[in-house]
Amino acid sequence: MIDPTKFTCADARPLVSAYLDDELTADRASPLRQHLMECAECRTATQSHKAQRQWFQTTPPVEVPAGFASRVARRAFQGDLGEAPFQAAEDDRVLAPVLPFVLRMTAAAALLLLVISGALRSVEIPTGGELRADDAATMTLEAALERLERLDREESALSEVRSR
Amino acid sequence: MTSHFSDRKDDQPSQGDRAREDARLVEEVLAGNQLSFQLLVERYSDRLFSLARHYTRNPVEIEDLVQESFLKAFRRLDSFHHQSSFYTWIYRIATNTILDFLKRRGRSPIQAVEDPEILVQSEPIDGFGPEADMEREEIAEVTRKVLAELPDIFRTVLVMREFEERSYQEIADMLGISIGTVESRLFRARARFRERLLKDHPEFSPGGGE
Repeated sequence: MIDPTKFTCADARPLVSAYLDDELTADRASPLRQHLMECAECRTATQSHKAQRQWFQTTPPVEVPAGFASRVARRAFQGDLGEAPFQAAEDDRVLAPVLPFVLRMTAAAALLLLVISGALRSVEIPTGGELRADDAATMTLEAALERLERLDREESALSEVRSR
Repeated sequence: MTSHFSDRKDDQPSQGDRAREDARLVEEVLAGNQLSFQLLVERYSDRLFSLARHYTRNPVEIEDLVQESFLKAFRRLDSFHHQSSFYTWIYRIATNTILDFLKRRGRSPIQAVEDPEILVQSEPIDGFGPEADMEREEIAEVTRKVLAELPDIFRTVLVMREFEERSYQEIADMLGISIGTVESRLFRARARFRERLLKDHPEFSPGGGE
């Protein structure tokens, strides 16, 4: 049994929370009540505890999606473990900033391959003695581009003839 | 003649009736009855949705968390021995599922430690309530953000007491702790909430912003 004459503010303050929750037993609430009647500071602290509760407002109930219960029951009986449902979202967040760049580079590479394959179709591949290893070594970049452009023009001309 | 007066609200079953019904449904589920499990989910999904809502606002995450909680409960159903109510049991599973999710998502881990430094304050404290002209949504947003910064053990008891209005006994049963621990944890949780609130929003301190 707590002696009310020895009940101090230090004894009172930890009990205020449960007191306001109406969860203190009578033997613990009684000395606190008496102390609050005598101590203005503890009364103020109690008022502050009460005011703080206004931050916790009840929120409207959350609507359960239609068919939720039947879906869950079906998945449970199908052996769905329902674990780690959030990994994909994390992976998406990692890939998101890189993806457009990767797509653009892939498109550019595909276009380049298309051009090169078109050029190669019109080239007569030298055989035997015609093939000279030093051709590529001595050909400059400008010369190579010129040749590609000439091949493009020849192919365009050939296409025109075929279409007539 | 039908009496319109009843001791019970509407047609709500008593706690004992509900517990007996839950026990029957659990037995039927264990015997392989899918519909019985569906009935259990229907019975408690709205409360678990509300619980998850206190931890995340994303509706997809809320649904996934509640679903995962029920699937875990299904897998562990044979370990439910009716020592607590079914709702208490699944509430605990749901709380742990939600907290695990927050950790996996990368919420900064705040270690729950004892706070001997949270002593009785000697100075009188003037009101810590929201300002009179604050909108309901604004109040809820401030509270949600402050709660998100608290250690899990404090956040959990505040949600259960302040939003769900559970008794200390119910909180103790659901969390598997003593009533004394509930009392001290709530005291510390409220003190920590006040500290964070003032740190994040000094304008709400007594006499602040004037």
